[in-house]
Amino acid sequence: MINRRPSRWLRSLSLIAIRLWQLRRVLVLVMLYFSLFGWLFSGDRAGDVRPTELYGIRETPRWREPDRDHWCGTAVNGADLFELSRFAMATSVSVAVVAVSAGIALALLLTMLVVFDPEENRFAWIERLSATGVILPGMIVMVILTGGGGGGLLLVIPGLASLVALMISPLLCRWFREGEDGFEIVAARVLGLSRREIVLGRVLPSVLRRLPGVFAILVPVAMLAEMSLSFLGFAGDRLSVGVMIARGQAYLIEAPWMAIYPGLFASVVVMAFSLLGWRVSAALRTGPLPPLF
Amino acid sequence: MIRHLLQRLLVALARLLVLGLATLALIEFSFVVIGDSEQHVWSRGAYGAVPQELAPDPFTWEGLIRVRAVATARVLILVIPSVLLIGYSWGILGARLRRYRLARLLAAPFAVFACVPGFWFAVLVAVYSYFHWQRPGFANDLVVERGPDLLAWWHASVVALPAMAGAAAWQIRAVAAVLERETTRSWVRGYFVAGANDEEIFYGRAIPRAASSLASLLDRPVAAIVGSLVVIESAFRYPGLGSLFVESVRLGSYPGILLAALCLAGMVLVATLLRELISSRE
Repeated sequence: MINRRPSRWLRSLSLIAIRLWQLRRVLVLVMLYFSLFGWLFSGDRAGDVRPTELYGIRETPRWREPDRDHWCGTAVNGADLFELSRFAMATSVSVAVVAVSAGIALALLLTMLVVFDPEENRFAWIERLSATGVILPGMIVMVILTGGGGGGLLLVIPGLASLVALMISPLLCRWFREGEDGFEIVAARVLGLSRREIVLGRVLPSVLRRLPGVFAILVPVAMLAEMSLSFLGFAGDRLSVGVMIARGQAYLIEAPWMAIYPGLFASVVVMAFSLLGWRVSAALRTGPLPPLF
Repeated sequence: MIRHLLQRLLVALARLLVLGLATLALIEFSFVVIGDSEQHVWSRGAYGAVPQELAPDPFTWEGLIRVRAVATARVLILVIPSVLLIGYSWGILGARLRRYRLARLLAAPFAVFACVPGFWFAVLVAVYSYFHWQRPGFANDLVVERGPDLLAWWHASVVALPAMAGAAAWQIRAVAAVLERETTRSWVRGYFVAGANDEEIFYGRAIPRAASSLASLLDRPVAAIVGSLVVIESAFRYPGLGSLFVESVRLGSYPGILLAALCLAGMVLVATLLRELISSRE
């Protein structure tokens, strides 16, 4: 009885349990992340609501001050500002998530194009391109692109993705270089593993493991960039916190809550995503990223 | 030394040229290819006099850029030294007391402030100034005729505040991370075994060893600061290069866009050049 070996199923289950226990911090953070997403995207969708309908000047405005029914007050047409802010933030979060994911994928693709090159300075052109590119601040590039092109999500998302790729690719190059200099890689070379086997089997998984940390850090930054563009009026005619604040400025004296509460809501959501991002980044040991935008 | 300086200056000029061409290509792509403008960047008609919407008084481009650059330089004079001073001093303190996780605590107020959109901060300032002083925004009608123009510096400091927050938080964490990495290296154990105490190792060994890595962080937040100024200056209606750039994009004025973008990029380029020169002396 004592010497009886546990069944294969039991061993697999215990291994899964151990792995989950090791990842407990990341799992808690992922659950919190998804809860935040769920809360933002739940509730009644405001649908195809346009800022001009909400903030258009009327003879008899139907706005109401913040009270028990409407925590953040209402817009000019009487719509609840809390629900509108939630809808607007959900759009900002969607834009940021898509743009950052695409940017990271593009950066990985760029890096993988040269990673199998046997030359010592194979990453040099990426690093030179990035070093020159970062001199022109990202916000300037985005304003020219969206301002000249007439705004809209189809310009904001690819623009943000390209900037993220430009900033992140030298970091990926550094991770690949550090990964290939490790002690176990030298041992693998001595044992006769090919370069392709080493990169795909050892270095790439360690780089991929850190990418969720990069994603979590960049999402709030991209959210702020998207809101700034919409505040300037370069992100198209759709509801965003930036547009709500910009339009609310017109009623700063009569109804200041229209500009104050959407901004407060956005700050709290960005702060929540930033806090989660820092925790995810610390749990995955991503390390500090260069400042963007 | 002079040869090195000339070499770096040449590289900086080449970079500026590349950025100028890239900006022109971006303007052509966004305004003509995607947008509905019929003015190409190479057509002479696109480069006329300063539009009245940009400057009500008659101004040449040179004069307008000079006035706006002085206003932006005033903000940068306040922001960049503050970021470097706070970033390095608090970052070093945070790394020294890393067992108490002080770096995160010190960076926290700035990081929280960095989550506040800069344009919303401008709205808050406007609301506050209206309900307390019955003047929304800056008192642009007041003109200082004698003595130092303290009012202009006050305006610049209000604009500088949100631009500084995010950059300072990043700088504190980056400086602390460099020093924390240095103090976890194997040579530290050797000094401990030899009888050196914490302070000797940290201030006498770790900081000098990490000096080149610390110097490489000098120019990192500048591009982000300049980028944030584009939005914040527009939100405050502060007459700097950032707001000139946004107004030029709205009007589709190519010379305004190009000159403002190159001036802003030039400020980042100067910071990069200084960092390269300082790093080469290490």
